[in-house]
Amino acid sequence: MPDTIPRYLRLSGSEVYDHTPDKNFLMIGERTNVAGSPRFRKLVQEGNLEEAVAVARQQVDNGANVIDICFDDGMIDGAPMMTQFLQLVQGEPDIAKVPIMVDSSKWEIIEAGLKCLQGKGIVNSISMKEGEDVFREHARKVLRYGAAVVVMAFDENGQAATYEEKIRICERAYRILVDEVGFPPEDIIFDPNILTVATGMEEHNNYAVDFINATRWIKENLPFAKVSGGVSNISFSFRGNNVVREAMHSAFLYHATRAGMDMGIVNAGMLEVYDEIPKELLDKVEDVLLNRNPEATEVLVDYAEQFKGQGGKKQEVDLAWREQSVEKRLEHALLRGITEFIDEDTEEARQKYGRPLLVIEGPLMDGMSIVGDLFGAGKMFLPQVVKSARVMKKSVAYLTPYMEEEKAANPDQKAAGKIVLATVKGDVHDIGKNIVGVVLACNGYDVVDLGVMVPCDRILEAAIAEKADIIGLSGLITPSLDEMMHVASEMERRGFTIPLLIGGATTSAAHTAIKIAPKYSKPIVHVLDASRSVPVTTSLISDENRDAFIKKNEERHDELRLKFSDNSAAKKLLPYTEACTKKFTCDWQTQNIAEPDFTGRKVINDLPLEDLLPMIDWSPYFHAWEMRGRYPAILDDPEKGVEATKLFNDAQELLQQIVAEKQFRAAGVYGIYPANSVGDDIEVYSDADRSQVIAKFHTLRQQLPKKDKPNYALADFIAPRDSGRIDYFGGFAVTTGHGADEFAKAFTDDHDDYSGIMAKALADRLAEAFAEYMHKRVRDHFQFGKSENLSHEDILRERYRGIRPAPGYPAQPDHTEKETLFQLLNATEEAGIVLTESMAMHPGASVSGIYFNHPDARYFGVGQITKDQLTNYAERKGITVEVAERWLGPWLAY
Amino acid sequence: MSNCRAELEQALTERIFVLDGAMGTTIRGYGLDEEATRGERFANSPKDLKNNGDILSITQPDVIGDIHKRFLEAGSDIIETNTFSGTTIAQSEFFVEDPRESGKGRKDPEFFDREVLQNAFLRDLAWELNLESVKLCRKWADAIGSDTGRKRYVAGAIGPLTVSLSVSPDANDAGFRVVTFDQVRDDYKHQTRALIEGGVDILMVETIFDALNAKAALVAIQEVFEEDSCEYPIIISAAVGRGGETLISGQNCIAMWHAMRHVNPLAIGLNCSLGPDLMRPFVESLSAAATTFVSCYPNAGLPDPLSPTGFPYSPEDMEGYIDDFAKSGFVNLVGGCCGNTPEHVAAIAKAAERHAPRKLPQLGS
Repeated sequence: MPDTIPRYLRLSGSEVYDHTPDKNFLMIGERTNVAGSPRFRKLVQEGNLEEAVAVARQQVDNGANVIDICFDDGMIDGAPMMTQFLQLVQGEPDIAKVPIMVDSSKWEIIEAGLKCLQGKGIVNSISMKEGEDVFREHARKVLRYGAAVVVMAFDENGQAATYEEKIRICERAYRILVDEVGFPPEDIIFDPNILTVATGMEEHNNYAVDFINATRWIKENLPFAKVSGGVSNISFSFRGNNVVREAMHSAFLYHATRAGMDMGIVNAGMLEVYDEIPKELLDKVEDVLLNRNPEATEVLVDYAEQFKGQGGKKQEVDLAWREQSVEKRLEHALLRGITEFIDEDTEEARQKYGRPLLVIEGPLMDGMSIVGDLFGAGKMFLPQVVKSARVMKKSVAYLTPYMEEEKAANPDQKAAGKIVLATVKGDVHDIGKNIVGVVLACNGYDVVDLGVMVPCDRILEAAIAEKADIIGLSGLITPSLDEMMHVASEMERRGFTIPLLIGGATTSAAHTAIKIAPKYSKPIVHVLDASRSVPVTTSLISDENRDAFIKKNEERHDELRLKFSDNSAAKKLLPYTEACTKKFTCDWQTQNIAEPDFTGRKVINDLPLEDLLPMIDWSPYFHAWEMRGRYPAILDDPEKGVEATKLFNDAQELLQQIVAEKQFRAAGVYGIYPANSVGDDIEVYSDADRSQVIAKFHTLRQQLPKKDKPNYALADFIAPRDSGRIDYFGGFAVTTGHGADEFAKAFTDDHDDYSGIMAKALADRLAEAFAEYMHKRVRDHFQFGKSENLSHEDILRERYRGIRPAPGYPAQPDHTEKETLFQLLNATEEAGIVLTESMAMHPGASVSGIYFNHPDARYFGVGQITKDQLTNYAERKGITVEVAERWLGPWLAY
Repeated sequence: MSNCRAELEQALTERIFVLDGAMGTTIRGYGLDEEATRGERFANSPKDLKNNGDILSITQPDVIGDIHKRFLEAGSDIIETNTFSGTTIAQSEFFVEDPRESGKGRKDPEFFDREVLQNAFLRDLAWELNLESVKLCRKWADAIGSDTGRKRYVAGAIGPLTVSLSVSPDANDAGFRVVTFDQVRDDYKHQTRALIEGGVDILMVETIFDALNAKAALVAIQEVFEEDSCEYPIIISAAVGRGGETLISGQNCIAMWHAMRHVNPLAIGLNCSLGPDLMRPFVESLSAAATTFVSCYPNAGLPDPLSPTGFPYSPEDMEGYIDDFAKSGFVNLVGGCCGNTPEHVAAIAKAAERHAPRKLPQLGS
């Protein structure tokens, strides 16, 4: 850390401006001064503040370190205008970053300006015109608000014109400020009056020299004080002759800064580069400025004639970004908050993309996403995001008539969305929520803001009354999280279907996924910040993107939940040896063990597909189309019924074709074998005498501590070898996928994706039906199956004895157990099902699994496992720990 | 109370001072429900009061006193009054109907004039809860100060308000503000006077997310000093985001120091919003720029709704971070904001004790 901090003039807007010695001259933009800029005055008088603000932006873009803002004009009500303008500027981060010079000859306008500055600005100006007391009072107030101050070299007798007057008044003011008011000397800026030369009056000839000499004296005698001035005054005699004026400004600044002038109010566009002033012109200009000969004025006036009416230096704005693609231009405009070209760029994009909505959902949303990313990374801040949203608004406004045209032509299309926003009950914070409201409103949403501390009922009632498309909840404090959960469960209870958005500082994607989302079965989305609100709402309302977005959101929730259960469970898992002591058990000596009427393997080839139709469970078919609900109730659902019925009828039609034309071939194999468990493994024997172990299955055990329930492993459902009793174990592999891929592909090739997807979905249903069919047949090989007397409905609800878990599913997450199963059943030869390298079955519409007949056998999830179990498992299975870890990655609690 | 600035300055050059921890998140540990929050006095108040933590100084003084006591016992040199929302404007959120609720219009300066600032009940309530809050602090700070032989100080907490002078809530009118500078300033004056009347040692403008709101508070304080001929040390503390800018008004914290330096604060620093890890670079830069003492009382990490206090860092975690800050010579006052319990403060105090305070840089001559 430094021992001393140099006493520089240090200003700020939202960013810092330190007037360090390397910054030899501080340029103060003057185009936002009604006295200096007729255009700005006109804009303000006409009330066109948006353009007036754009003038301020241009100043900053042109390199102004500070902008001077002045409304001293008889036609303008200065104080309210100063407030209004500065409040607008505060919403423009690109401008608000620089310090503001509040410029007025009226104190009330200055004070109005000071009340709008969060940063340290400059007051321009105060003076001793009305005497020392008023000067002192104003200086104290400037200090109270925390600004630097320009002191005009004025006193009770008027303006200081000569060198002597200038230094006398400045010294007097300095002493009062520093010694009496306690003003930091580095924050005092003297304006010793730049007065017009070359007026034709002899006493004016030395004005520039007087200023330059006074500057030198101040810098040498009044420690840390600064010197400034309004540069364009110097050349007023040459109004209309920009060539000469620009040369005069540059030459004057050149000499004044060498004398120590620190800053000046300068039109950056009206400055020639000193070295580029033609030698002849420069000589004549300097003769005038430095008062080098009595005829200098006359000479310059004559010489200047030739330049009259010529334009000076052109405004230069870096427009290189305009050369880029329209997408890049829109992105640039969004990031920088530039509205200037937005209409033409939007039009270009509209033509390129064909539909206005595609422009919004494409390049505009992409740009807003970048804004969101930058904001998230702390590289942009809130006001900038709001600014970006305004650019977005302009672009959307441009597209709106086109969208309305489209809507008129296509009346079914949805209107822009309506969103009910509220800070939940118990929470009074709503600044963030207001910003979200602004951003959404800017994007054409109809925002109904219910305010803060809004009880759940009122939110839900408003959502119904307003026919809202989305509800957004906000909250800052921790208890609000509970209230949000409450709102979500109320929405579920009251049968809401619209999406719920969650936002606010203490909310998180993880909390939303783990705690709030389970309360409400419809979409719940955590919105990280205001910039993300539009992409989220647009996706939720868009017919085209909605489903994909919701699916992605749900996947993200699943991931977060899994991660959370990983983290929270890891610490609490039982050691494997302890979990083993809590295994499921029964009295194996008396336990009813069903005996089959045969052991060995049976193949079913070319089963008529008709036989499978009654076994089809239709609910998952609708899930495949992302329709939630149970068959057959879904067919009568008030919302989805019509669509569901259509899907179902189309499926029936296609299914009939498949069956009639034998488009798919069903093939399968099953086996029943004597077996015993040994620890957590299952030994499969060639015969009931256990003469030979023909296969060994390995199972995994739950390690989550439980109160009353056992820690299951599948091996628990087979009688242990040391019980002395023989048990039976089975396995199966079925497919209805032969021919299915080809059949589906024919549709897709014909651009009928709908039928293509349906064909595959039906193949999957048939394979599951085949598995159900085969399970029934296997149960029938045991006594209990023959007497079970179950309806199809009962069977589909699995109300029979026994289970058929599949390797790779929760009860045995290790896919590689399929290899053992396939070898045992010779499934590739017998049923034509191939295992890929990643243990997937080909054709896709295939199912395999193992049978357990114990009356208490049940499905369960193994959940997280610890390293001790994994090591033990790998050893039992004869594979390395690395290989086992690779296959069981998601289940490792370490 | 007399101005104890000189003795504080002396003490701060000798050791790192310990502030207290979170009031809001610690209150929640007492499990007060709506009824307990209301007490008899506010039993019939029309709106929910449950999260109106400030009102507990009136309805549950024993709880608030107990929290102060626990922080003092944990080693706090300075405790903050329970007055984060001790302004008429902030209290109005709990008592005045939001015009948006009934569609009667919006919140604007006229609404605040009519319904809030002229509302005698609210003004009196704000005054009373500042007064009572200071008394609770005073009682425990003085008691534990004399028991332990180490003087403890009371800082009057002046919070950020629920309205912003920098941001417009109206999409179609970027120049609109719900309140005026003068309204905010006058309300802060009211709070400042009540805190002084109650007997604070220090005034603390804290959790600044809108630097213009804070500026209004600082103008208010200076006006009170002038009008009432008194002076108290001021501590200024901002809540900055990941980029180091005040959360709402987007001002870089050094820019803020420049804009507030003129009030000659006893200390400037950062609190809330970030954990110590994310706050570090900004504490460091403030420490290099400020010619006054530097304070910092970060949250116990970023909000983590899944951890018991709502914030993830343990007392040991905080001790580690603060130890690093102190060792690096960044800080003169340390404490904790959201998620920091008395146990956290005790751990922070341990870290503070191990290191010399930051040396104050001098302004060049």
